[in-house]
Amino acid sequence: MSTTAFAVPFKAEFDPNSQEFAISGVVRPRSADEIAATISMLKGAIEEVRGVLYVNVKRLVQMNNTAYHAFARVLLDACRTRSDIRFVVVTSSVVGWTERMFAHLNKIEPQVTVEVYDSKFYPGQSFVENTSFIPILRTQTKMTWRHERAILPRHGLRPGMTMADICCGIGDFAMLARKEFQPARIVALDHSKASLAYARDVASGFGVTDIEYTYGDASEMLLEDSQFDFVTCRHSLQIFNQPDVLLKELFRICKPGGRVYITNEKNSHCLGEPRAQSIQWTYNEVAKLFSHFEMDVELGPKSKRYLVDAGFDDIIVESFMVTNLDGDPHDFADIIAAWENVYAGEMAVKRGDPPEFIDRFRQGFRDHIFAALHPKGYAGWPIWAASGRKPL
Amino acid sequence: MHGAENQPTEAAFEPLLQFEMEMGAFLSDWNHCDQLSTFMARMISHNRTDPVRHSNFFSSALNELLEVSFRSGSPDGRIGCAVYRWGPTERVELTFPCPPGQRQFYREAVSKTRDGDAHARYLDSISTDLAPSREAVLLDLSINFDANVRLDESDPPSITLVVDLPLEGVVR
Repeated sequence: MSTTAFAVPFKAEFDPNSQEFAISGVVRPRSADEIAATISMLKGAIEEVRGVLYVNVKRLVQMNNTAYHAFARVLLDACRTRSDIRFVVVTSSVVGWTERMFAHLNKIEPQVTVEVYDSKFYPGQSFVENTSFIPILRTQTKMTWRHERAILPRHGLRPGMTMADICCGIGDFAMLARKEFQPARIVALDHSKASLAYARDVASGFGVTDIEYTYGDASEMLLEDSQFDFVTCRHSLQIFNQPDVLLKELFRICKPGGRVYITNEKNSHCLGEPRAQSIQWTYNEVAKLFSHFEMDVELGPKSKRYLVDAGFDDIIVESFMVTNLDGDPHDFADIIAAWENVYAGEMAVKRGDPPEFIDRFRQGFRDHIFAALHPKGYAGWPIWAASGRKPL
Repeated sequence: MHGAENQPTEAAFEPLLQFEMEMGAFLSDWNHCDQLSTFMARMISHNRTDPVRHSNFFSSALNELLEVSFRSGSPDGRIGCAVYRWGPTERVELTFPCPPGQRQFYREAVSKTRDGDAHARYLDSISTDLAPSREAVLLDLSINFDANVRLDESDPPSITLVVDLPLEGVVR
């Protein structure tokens, strides 16, 4: 484990537009005097706002009792003098003690309420964190690994590196990477407790004890700066409504000179023969459907732009096609069947699509399966693998 | 909070990690509390179910204990901190010099963590105290970290705060 950079300095800011006072990092002063400027900023924010002040502590990694009492005192005093405003403390479910500590303020003054932030971070979260996604993830990794085990060394993954797999899902990629590349340390983070429980069960069943599975929000990680040689984030930027925010975090935890590796799709380019037209129509609709829920499953070819904008250099982009010819075509068909279940069976229904649309939508998936299993058929799913180096 | 009847036998706790240093050296820099708690938390959490979050929780609790010993302010003697594990619980034994005049204070403060009105006392402290007292810090551990706190005075002039933290159950 890293033994450097113990104390991350804290940061506080007030955004008058969103009426949000945010404090992040490690706040462990010896006396309240050391944080007097921040306390004054909070008091100033209270003077300025109308109606509600959001107190954002979701990126607060540590706060000692000295600081907590100082901030609590300001909020509680304000409740007594300003009955016209209320305070919403926004915590993270990842940092459990913040929720516990700040919840006490509501017991003292009902004007202070506590909200847990993560549960509403991105609109499609409920779909991808649903356990019905587990079979998709499992089969997908099996299919993509055939390609990625050869691709990853081209992007810099070597044995003995410290590695993080962010948005690890059910942890199967971390297991495969651990076995193939023997990292010195591997942390695997995800925001689905069900997926993590599955991952831990699998690891335990195989006697694997050296993968550090951790619950976390990829956009607000507890992991420290510049810790990892190689950071992977697969099929995930495309399902966040703010991929740039996520990429900023990947950049932050990567060591200077290390690399961040991402994979994403361009769903409208899924293809098949025979029945190409029906397949094409459905996958164009998949892209629109995800877009409705603020997810961009067309992100793959945009990887270079995102990496450049996030500050990476030495960018490598390549694409590969998972097909029905990779091993057992039934594996490919299983992936498509799972997509049909979630995309047509859940997401389109939630969007309020009429039955006739859903029928046609389903047909494209079934035709894709038909193409995959046809003795002369061909079915493909294109993926873009990209990586960038964090400058030294 | 946990009753004494739920406690394992002393022998059940396995040693994980400990440090000892001169009080004078410890008191030379406030940041020692943060640095030691962060380092020890990382070391002992690596094989917990969720190492990152366990470390964050544990560091938070240990830092408060170290700050308590820092504020006791006695420069003579040594400070020692040992961490043990039994199942889902880490035990912190923090030993530091305590002037005779402060012993009664610690006895009472520890005792209050077990009182039925501990929660009300804690809320009162948040509501009225300008700065947290050491009593409030121990209440915080008891209430927010489900800690069981007791005092060992068998090695004067030092005292030992023995704090059981069932964090593996809290970090789910």
